[in-house]
Amino acid sequence: MKEIRALLFDPIVKNNPIALQILGICSALAVTVKMDVTMIMCIALTSVVTLSNFFISIIRLYIPDSIRIIVQMTIISSLVIMVDEILKAYAYEASKELSVFVGLIITNCIVMGRAEAFAMKNPPLKSLIDGFGNGLGYSFILIIVATIREVFGSGTFFGVQVMPDFYPTNNFLLLPPSSFIIIGLMIWVIRSFDDEQVDENEFPLKAHTYKPLTAKKEVIDG
Amino acid sequence: MRSLLIPLLACIACAVIVSVTAVSVREKQNENLEYDKKTKILLAAGIIAENIDEEFTNITTLYIDFKNNELVEMEDSYDPIKATFNQNTSTLVPKEKDIAILKRRENIGPVYLWLNDKNSIDKVVVPIRGYGLWGTLYGYLSLDSDLNTVRGIEFYDHKETPGLGAEVENQDWKDLWEGKLLYGSHGGVQLKVVKGSAKGKYQINGLSGATLTSNGVSNMINYWLGSDGYGPALKKIKSLYGPQVAMQ
Repeated sequence: MKEIRALLFDPIVKNNPIALQILGICSALAVTVKMDVTMIMCIALTSVVTLSNFFISIIRLYIPDSIRIIVQMTIISSLVIMVDEILKAYAYEASKELSVFVGLIITNCIVMGRAEAFAMKNPPLKSLIDGFGNGLGYSFILIIVATIREVFGSGTFFGVQVMPDFYPTNNFLLLPPSSFIIIGLMIWVIRSFDDEQVDENEFPLKAHTYKPLTAKKEVIDG
Repeated sequence: MRSLLIPLLACIACAVIVSVTAVSVREKQNENLEYDKKTKILLAAGIIAENIDEEFTNITTLYIDFKNNELVEMEDSYDPIKATFNQNTSTLVPKEKDIAILKRRENIGPVYLWLNDKNSIDKVVVPIRGYGLWGTLYGYLSLDSDLNTVRGIEFYDHKETPGLGAEVENQDWKDLWEGKLLYGSHGGVQLKVVKGSAKGKYQINGLSGATLTSNGVSNMINYWLGSDGYGPALKKIKSLYGPQVAMQ
């Protein structure tokens, strides 16, 4: 029971795919302007990563090691095409706004990463829960970013006006770079609460070794 | 052996799942496309409607036979794009005239007409399409009652580069079209999408970084509103539904 809870909730803050592993950033930048579009993207990604983990885990013992990535890709892309077709049928407006980003779930590192790192080594049910948990972790970040961007960028929430009329909307928040900054700030907040996530400093600065010249400075480029 | 069998089985299973899904939602998708086209026709004419079908009852759809520019009767379900796939309902466009790179053009094309209470033209929408950079752009152009002043332009399908050519969907750019004039003093289409800054009533600022898309839009306007497209038919419509009140 404890293990299942860890599988499900660890990816939300403790081991978040975006905040800790820095995966799946591109779609997080692109689809977080409006809440409704973001929600659909979250649902799409969560269902793909859950199901792909599940199916890959079922056949994990039969996949020849040398071609495992191709087999994984086949399963993932089939699921993504399925999701894309369903969105085109039942959420047409949103699918138009998401455009290529639904198709790009295929190359989303979170999906590949979970398949390769978890589903290939664990039984189906555990993989399914792990996939769902990681989908939740992705959604958690996206929803926060989208909330900030939509509320302060367009003054609306799910398309409903929430900010008073005199509020000057911040156009910068409508542009993709703003989510870089928001995600960066979120990583900072998460890591200041959880020391374990702080990266080791790989390139520490050396102590100052420069000795000021005592001789008179020569003028070269007079 | 196993390294062949498992991928093969996985492929077959995936193929079945994908095709079953695709086929089962096809009808619903087509409905959405149809709805989207109708929305764009209304948007081009500057109408934002809650109920699309109700708004469509205000439209008189005329069908034009391009061979002799006569008005003909057609069923409501007639789809000019589908007609281009059939040899009997479309004709090959001669190379030298094919500026919009259509290859085949339907024999009969629709014109969407709004009539005012005096039974004369209020506004008109004509379908346009033509090749941009990566593929054909499909859209609608709306004209005022004089059948010369542009009301608006909309595209419902294209494959242009997001951020460059796909800016044909940018509202700021579409707004540039309003009030521009189509036909010059010599009678032909004079409206052009130009590089650099547009001057006067016959020029529209091109999309920066998307010269080929801009040229494509220019060409499709030239073709569809010109003498090979709806040009002669629009003249005829003007004489049929023109402002009689003004003459009295």
